[in-house]
Amino acid sequence: MNVVAEQPWLWAGLGAYLVATLVAMWGVSPRSENSQLVVNKTHEKLVLGFIVLGVLLLTIAIAARWIRIGHGPWISLFELLMSQVWSLGLIFAVLYWKLPGLRPSTVIVLPVMWILGSWVLMLEPGISHFPATYYNVWKWSHVGLGKIFLALLLAGVGLGGVMILRTTERGKIWFRAMPSDAIIDKLAWRMMMLALVFDSLMLIAGAVWAQDAWGRYWAWDSLETSAFLTWIFLAIGLHVRLTYKIKPWVSGAIIIGVFMMAFSTYFGIPYLSPSAHKGMV
Amino acid sequence: MLRRLASLKFTLVGMVLLAGGAALSYGNPAEVSVWVLIVPLALLALNLAAAIVTNPRINRQPGLLVFHICLLATVLLAGLGRLTHLDAHLEIAQNQTFSKDVLLDVRKGPWHSGNLDKVQFIQGAYTVDYSPGLKRGLTHSQVFLPGLGGATVVQDVGDDRPLILERYRFYTTHNKGFAPVLTWLPNQGEPITGRINMPSYPLYDYKQDNSWIPPGTKEEIKFWLQLQTGMTLDESWVLNKQKATGILVVTSDGRRVELEPGDEVPLAHGRLRFENLTTWMGYRVFYDPTIQWLFWVTVVGVFGLTHFFWVKLNLVPWMDEGNEPEGKV
Repeated sequence: MNVVAEQPWLWAGLGAYLVATLVAMWGVSPRSENSQLVVNKTHEKLVLGFIVLGVLLLTIAIAARWIRIGHGPWISLFELLMSQVWSLGLIFAVLYWKLPGLRPSTVIVLPVMWILGSWVLMLEPGISHFPATYYNVWKWSHVGLGKIFLALLLAGVGLGGVMILRTTERGKIWFRAMPSDAIIDKLAWRMMMLALVFDSLMLIAGAVWAQDAWGRYWAWDSLETSAFLTWIFLAIGLHVRLTYKIKPWVSGAIIIGVFMMAFSTYFGIPYLSPSAHKGMV
Repeated sequence: MLRRLASLKFTLVGMVLLAGGAALSYGNPAEVSVWVLIVPLALLALNLAAAIVTNPRINRQPGLLVFHICLLATVLLAGLGRLTHLDAHLEIAQNQTFSKDVLLDVRKGPWHSGNLDKVQFIQGAYTVDYSPGLKRGLTHSQVFLPGLGGATVVQDVGDDRPLILERYRFYTTHNKGFAPVLTWLPNQGEPITGRINMPSYPLYDYKQDNSWIPPGTKEEIKFWLQLQTGMTLDESWVLNKQKATGILVVTSDGRRVELEPGDEVPLAHGRLRFENLTTWMGYRVFYDPTIQWLFWVTVVGVFGLTHFFWVKLNLVPWMDEGNEPEGKV
């Protein structure tokens, strides 16, 4: 097996995320309740430190690949996953730092990132072709806004997962340090509101790019349809919450449902459909 | 009545219908009617208009009001865009002047009324970069436009840099190739000069053939173009007419002749001269007068939403218990 330049950094970055996950899990465990590290919340600093370390190592991995193949992580599933693991870690680290109330939800968020991390480890880091239409500057804003959108959704999933798990006795113990369900629910939906803003901006930037690149701003291709469905699911979720008095676990289930739609849009459709962006290049 | 129309439950029904319509439109299947999208969008537009007028949650909060007005305007503009649009393709040869007669597969809305007659350009040469493995890179297509005082302006277009004239946008496509320019000198009548577009190159490198029946005859002349372009699968390569040569193999009435540029062959009903080898470029043509408006309306709408959230999120701290009623963020 040939090891290419970015792989050791990728493994090290994912390793740092793994350590952060284990420390976060140890922190919510009732066995560690009386540990000085948990009492002083030092373990939270360790979690944040390892996430930041992972982000730094993944930054090096992306840079190494960029230098090796001559373009950024835009094309292949390997590149897309690596870049998402990086951006999700970066944005979640900022949220973790600024919003102490969501910190225990790291035990849900990081394993989701690990799904992506395990996936990228199974892929070949082959050289991808950079299509002419990807020189367009709108690509940057489309991709950047999409990354913020997905990270906000993921933070919402962490909080939604907490609300669902709290319906069990074990979940109540794990997340004893978190605020009430009412506050978590409010925080989760604030994430979803911000996600709606970034999702909308991502769709606008994507439409401008599509107009320049393929001569139409919207054509209901598989990826566009899937992205629109994600947007409408998010809007439905927000309106359901405005219209009905829903239980926290239902609220969490809606958030997870929206995230699953977004997940399939990002990581499924572009690599399944010949007519989506990959086929349009 | 208006309040019933503005109900949030009606909004949810409309959104679920729209999601269903979008799901049915997945991958743009030809057999699914566009009405699966139009009906829910029309219902939502009615619901939204009624909500803007009657719902104080919307019309007393400037950000939310701007967002919902822009959302409504987006739906209306998109509809107007479909009524006034034009989509088409064209194949144009080097040194050929554009005219609307060259458009192919024209699809346009019933209200389309653009100034296609005023569009003027002459196609120039083009180059296309290819990476190893014959992966297409940048296209540089020259077009000549009439400038001030009779001068000619040269513009380089290609890929995401369309030629925009009279709001018509011309995009280069992967569809391009070579075309022998031929003169037919009939035994009786005037000579005619034209070109035979060969299939897209290098996509159909293996079958650069076509045929033609001279006017007033039943004699089918078959052409096969043997190209030397320097194309290679293993290395980078540039498709460039300047570096391409071709021999035209003409088959007619069981006779096979190879022609180089300038050569002539006598046939049953006249003589055929291979003048030279030229290229053709395929363009996609797009016209929609609403696209700039759509862009600004959607951007203003999202900024309205952002303003609403900004005000709302700053009123109640993120991690406070607060006294907000259920269902609020």
